[in-house]
Amino acid sequence: MSLSLPRENVPPRRRRSFENSGLTPYLYLLPFMLLFLVFVVYPVGYGFWVSLHRWDLLAETRPFVGLEYYRNLFDFSTPQAQFFWNSMRNTGFFTILSVPLLVAVSLGLALLLYRPIFGRSFFRAVFFLPGILTVSVMGILWRWMFDNQIGLVNAVRTDLLGLQPLPFLSSEGLAWIPVVVGTLWWTIGFNMTLYLAALGNISQSLYEAAEIDGATAWPKFRFITWPLLGPVTLFVFVTTVLASFQLFGQTLVITNGGPNRTTQSAIQYITEEAFTNNQFSSAAAMSFMFGLAMLIFTVLQFRIMARDAREGT
Amino acid sequence: MKRIPAARRTALLALLALGAAGAQSSTQSAYTGPRVQLTFLHGFTGADRPVMERLIQQFNAAHPNIQVRGQAQPWGTTWQQLPSLVASGRAPDVVVINEDQITNFIARGAVSPLTDAELRTAGIDKARYYGPLFQTANYEGKSYGVPISSVAYVMFYNKDLMQKSGVTKVPTTRAELLRAAQQCTTDTSGKKAGQAGFNKANLSTWGMSLYNNWVGSRLAYAAILQNGGSLVDRNLNANFNSPQAVEAVQFLVDLVQKHGVARPNSTEEAELAAFSQGKVCFFPSGQWYTDRFEQQKLNFGVAFVPRIGNQKDAAWGGSSHLTLPRQRAGYDANKRRASLEFMDWMTAPAQNLAWTEAGSLPVSPVVARDKKFEGRPIAGVFSKLGSIYATSGFPWGGQVLGPFDNAWANAYSGKQSVKAALDAGVSEANKQITQARKSFQ
Repeated sequence: MSLSLPRENVPPRRRRSFENSGLTPYLYLLPFMLLFLVFVVYPVGYGFWVSLHRWDLLAETRPFVGLEYYRNLFDFSTPQAQFFWNSMRNTGFFTILSVPLLVAVSLGLALLLYRPIFGRSFFRAVFFLPGILTVSVMGILWRWMFDNQIGLVNAVRTDLLGLQPLPFLSSEGLAWIPVVVGTLWWTIGFNMTLYLAALGNISQSLYEAAEIDGATAWPKFRFITWPLLGPVTLFVFVTTVLASFQLFGQTLVITNGGPNRTTQSAIQYITEEAFTNNQFSSAAAMSFMFGLAMLIFTVLQFRIMARDAREGT
Repeated sequence: MKRIPAARRTALLALLALGAAGAQSSTQSAYTGPRVQLTFLHGFTGADRPVMERLIQQFNAAHPNIQVRGQAQPWGTTWQQLPSLVASGRAPDVVVINEDQITNFIARGAVSPLTDAELRTAGIDKARYYGPLFQTANYEGKSYGVPISSVAYVMFYNKDLMQKSGVTKVPTTRAELLRAAQQCTTDTSGKKAGQAGFNKANLSTWGMSLYNNWVGSRLAYAAILQNGGSLVDRNLNANFNSPQAVEAVQFLVDLVQKHGVARPNSTEEAELAAFSQGKVCFFPSGQWYTDRFEQQKLNFGVAFVPRIGNQKDAAWGGSSHLTLPRQRAGYDANKRRASLEFMDWMTAPAQNLAWTEAGSLPVSPVVARDKKFEGRPIAGVFSKLGSIYATSGFPWGGQVLGPFDNAWANAYSGKQSVKAALDAGVSEANKQITQARKSFQ
C-alpha cells in the first residue's frame, strides 16, 4: 500500500503542473506562430532592410542609404514622389467613389431580393455570379463594353440615342467610369449575400409590432432594418474599403493606369517601380508608406468597431 | 581544344560526302566531351511550347552526350526569379531573355559574355543572323545572346478596300502613304479626305489605323528611327524629343488632326475590328496578327512599314535570345561548351524554320528564302527583315519606354502638342534614369 500511493499520486500531480504552467495555449499557437514568423515577420523585416539599402540581388555591393528612398517620396522633384502620391490619390478617389455605391447598391438589392418576388433565386444568382470571374475576364469585358469606338455603351449612345461617342478609355476622368461600374458589377453580389443573411436574422415580430402602430415602409426601414443591420454594414464597409485600397487588376486591364496615370493605383505603381524599373528598394519604401496608410485606416476602423461593440452590449 | 573544330570539320565533310548539305543542320556535335545534363529555362508557353519541346527532343536524340531538360514558365516569372537564381549560384545553364529585358540583365551582370573564340568553336557565325537582330543582345562591344525568335512591326493592308478606293500601289514613302490614306478615307456623305466639305468627325472608311497603346507607339518609334533619331543618346539618356523625332511624330499626329485620315482617340481593339471589317486600308501592328487575318480569309497583304522618315528603313522588332547566365565559381566548363552547341543547333536554319511554325519570323536570311513562305502574305516583309530594330541597348528600358508610350498617347490624342508631349516624356525618363544609374554604380 505504501508503495502504491506515490505511484497513484504522481501522474495526476504531473498533469496538474503541466496544465498550470500556462504552456498549453502557446503550444496551440506554435504552428501558427511559426508560419507567422516565416511568412509575415521575416518578409516584412527583410523588406524594410531592402528599403534602407540600394538593393539588387545581382549587385556586388548593396550600400546602406538610410532613408533616401523615403525622402524621395517627399521630394516632389522626383518622379517617385510625383507618381506615388498621384497613385495614392487615385486609390483614395476610387475608394471614395466606389465604397458608398458598393454598400448602398448591395443593400438596395438585398432589400429587393429579400422580398418574396417572382424569380427571386434567379436574380440572386444573377447578381452573385459575376463575382466568380477572375479580374482579367472582368476587366476585358468592361474594356470592350466601354471601348471608345466599338464598345456597347458608345453603340447605344450613337445608334439609339443619337449622341456623340465618348472616349471613355482615353479621357481623364471618364476612364474611372468603366473601372467603377465594372467593380460594382463584379463585387456587388458578395455584399448583397451578407445583407441577405443579416436580413434573415431580423425577427418579423418587430415589423408586425410596427405595423400595428401604423408604421409605413420608410419608418420600418429607418427604425428597425437599418439599426439592426448596423454590425453587418460596418463589416461590409470595412472589408469593402480594404478591398478598394487594394485596387490593382481592374485598372491594369481596363485602362492600364491611363490616360496619363490618372487611373494608376498605388499597388500598380509600386509593381511598376519594382519590376519594370527594377528599383526594388524604392518600391519597398513605397510599400511601407502604403502599408502605413492602411494601418492608420485600420486602427481607425477598429476604434469604431470597438465603440460599436461597447454600445451594442 | 584543337580536337573540337577538327571533329566539326570531319562531320561537315561527312555530310557533304553523303550529299546531305541540304539537311542544313549537322547532327554531329561540336561538343565531344563527357555526357552532361543542361537545364533550359524559357518562356515559350501556350502554343509555342509543343514546338519548342519537339525541338528539344530532336536535339537530345541527335546528341547522346548532351541531355537538355526544358522548363517553360511565364516570362514575367523568369524576370523575377533570374536575379535570385544567379545570385545563389543555381542559375539554369541556358535561359531565353527577351529584347526588352536583356540589356538590363547584362548590365546587372546576370548574363555572361560570349567570346568570339567560343562562338567560333561552337560554329555560331554572327553573319548567319540579321545584323540588328544579333546586335540586340550586344552591350558595350560584347555579345551576350543568340537570337532564336523574332517578331516585328509591319503594315497590314486591305486589298479590297484599296481597290475600291482606287489605290493601286502599296505605299512605301511618306507622300505615297498620305495620298493613299486620303483616297481610302471617306466621310458618311461620301466626300474624300482633302475634298471641300469633307467632315473628318464622321468617317465611313479611313486610311490608316493609329491608336493609343504601346503597340500604337511603336509606329512612332519606327518613324523616329527612319528620320535618323533614336530613343536614347550616346550617353544612354532619353532623347526622343530631338528635332528628327518631333518631325517624324508630327507627321503621324497630322494624319489624325490635320488630314483626318485616321480616327482620333482610337484603341487597338477598335482598329483591329475596323481592319477586319474592311473599313480601314492600312493597319500597322505586330506581325502576330497574320494568322488571325489568314483564318478570317481576309483579302490582305503585309508590307514593311513605309518610309515616314528620310534616312533609312526601320521598324520595331521584338526578339528572344538564348543566353548563358553567370554561374558560380567552379562551374563545369563542359556544360558551357555543351550549352553553346545547343545554342548553335537551336538557331541553325533547319531548326529556325521549324520554329517559325510558332509564329516567329526567320532569324536568318537563309530561312527567309525557304519555299515554305512563297506566296504567304508575311513574305512581303522578308526583304527588309534586316531593318528591324528592337528597343534595346540601354539598361533602363522601363524608364524610357513608359514615358515614351505616354508621350505618344498624349500627342496622338491632341492633349499636348507633339513637342510638349515628347519634351515632358524625355524630362520624366531622364529623372528616372538618374535614379536608375545609382543602381549601376
